[in-house]
Amino acid sequence: MTPSAAAAMKAAFTPEQERELVAWTKKYPYTNLGLIEALRSVQDWHRLVTPAAAARVAEIFDLPFNHVWSTATFFPTFTRWKTGEKRVGICHGLTCFLAGSDKMEKCLEKTLGVPKKKATADGKLSWEPMECLGACEQGPALQVNDRLIGKATEESILKLKDLK
Amino acid sequence: MTKILTKHFDTEPKFHELEAYRRLDGYEALKKARGMERAAVLAEVKKSNLRGLGGAGFPTGLKWETVPSEEKVPGPRFVVVNADESEPGCYKDRILLTRAPHQLLEGLLIASHVIGAKDSFIFIRGEYQNQYDIVEKALAEATAAGLLGEVKIHLMRGAGAYISGLDTALLETMEGKKAWPRQPPPFPTVAGLMAKPTVVNNVETLSMLPFIVNEGGEAFAKIGGPKSGGTVLFSISGSVERPGLYEFPMGVKLREVLTACGGPLPGRKLKGVIPGGTSMPPLMEKDLDIQLDFDSVRAAGTFLGAGGMIVLDDTMDAVEIAHNIERFLAHESCGQCTPCREGANWSERILHRLLDGKGEAADIANLSRVGENITGKVICALGDTVGMVLKGYITRYPDDFNKRVKQS
Repeated sequence: MTPSAAAAMKAAFTPEQERELVAWTKKYPYTNLGLIEALRSVQDWHRLVTPAAAARVAEIFDLPFNHVWSTATFFPTFTRWKTGEKRVGICHGLTCFLAGSDKMEKCLEKTLGVPKKKATADGKLSWEPMECLGACEQGPALQVNDRLIGKATEESILKLKDLK
Repeated sequence: MTKILTKHFDTEPKFHELEAYRRLDGYEALKKARGMERAAVLAEVKKSNLRGLGGAGFPTGLKWETVPSEEKVPGPRFVVVNADESEPGCYKDRILLTRAPHQLLEGLLIASHVIGAKDSFIFIRGEYQNQYDIVEKALAEATAAGLLGEVKIHLMRGAGAYISGLDTALLETMEGKKAWPRQPPPFPTVAGLMAKPTVVNNVETLSMLPFIVNEGGEAFAKIGGPKSGGTVLFSISGSVERPGLYEFPMGVKLREVLTACGGPLPGRKLKGVIPGGTSMPPLMEKDLDIQLDFDSVRAAGTFLGAGGMIVLDDTMDAVEIAHNIERFLAHESCGQCTPCREGANWSERILHRLLDGKGEAADIANLSRVGENITGKVICALGDTVGMVLKGYITRYPDDFNKRVKQS
């Protein structure tokens, strides 16, 4: 590891965050069972998972870096791009697609002024199409930070700007 | 109409709270089960013909029976609740977690008693944060009321991968690895979480247990069809007037379900009905009088799946539908098996070309060939689905496909 990479790894988390990561190693009957939850915390704090953060998590969990990095790059929740503080998801599963999710995607792009998977300049908001959110009766379904908002309409999308 | 899981949904708005749940005889079955021999509870579950309602339809009692005894394999064993509902069209578990978390907890505790699990897990998909909060609160209530006994129930969230909903991929996810399905044998009941005997059951399946213990396996079996006991939930969407959650006895006729939910929409013609989530090819007009249970739907050339019913009408285009499903599968293919990783992407691209009006005459045959080269040649059901969906839509709606080629 280069000295700069080592420094980045050391500086990845605040002491409080370090304590929370350690807590995840002890939450379940086996250490590694806490890894997904720990990475979810990292994503919440940094709004992405960097190699430096993954390396520090690997140290805390006593796992090889490659193990943590292969997990962090597999799951859609963890990103290598920086999401907005509010991460908006528009479902494009079959029912939501049939109910016009592509129109709502265009509406999101226009209303928030950014393409998918790119945060607004102030870092507050980003949007992306997501796979089935399990809310087909309210399609096209809209969610913010893993919480279902309900049916996406031009009005409900306009309201997202107030989340800032 | 016989209802088991949603019986109190219309009349008790606070069914998710411990006080209301207990007032309606909640946790009585757990008390009864704990007073019974484990083998006696298992015998009732076997008698009930309860089958896995997460999609596979495997007999629950039979699954439990394959867990080796403590004498044979000493050490811990686990029960894992699969609440990673991600199949497009399915949202029954979301509503069960929201409205009836204690029903699930009671079922889980009954299963833990039979299996001898001291640690049990509920794995909830990350996108169900609202439901996670509800289950967390219910668990705190049950714990404070001393209902857990010796069992510890752990909650865990997923991270957005559809494949995590497959039992062996779920176990890999829980272990902090990328969600690559395992190649059984050994099956999870022999070597599951951390290689310990593990029963993985769906939310709906476990939620049936309080009824089975209270009323007996025979009473449950009598409600359903010959080989699938009890009721089944359908989460209905698409071309319907009243989308939502419906509970019917196993073996209900498709026509009856469509009448209840008002599908297809007025003025539209029925194009097909996806019975259990987008992985299942649609049932057709001619199937309106078949019985919806695992075996009858299978005989009609598709699968009951996990009750995610999507009604299709004549305003919808089969190529667009197939493209949407294949795009989903290509995105969610875990990449472990080459035929699925490559084939799903190729099918998405060929379908995209058809949609773009650039389809060639050979494309339809190529799609079928790509599908045939995946099904049966991969570790898990996702890959099989890629081929099944292609074949399903091409054979059912040849006109929609041929039209795309002629235009180009």
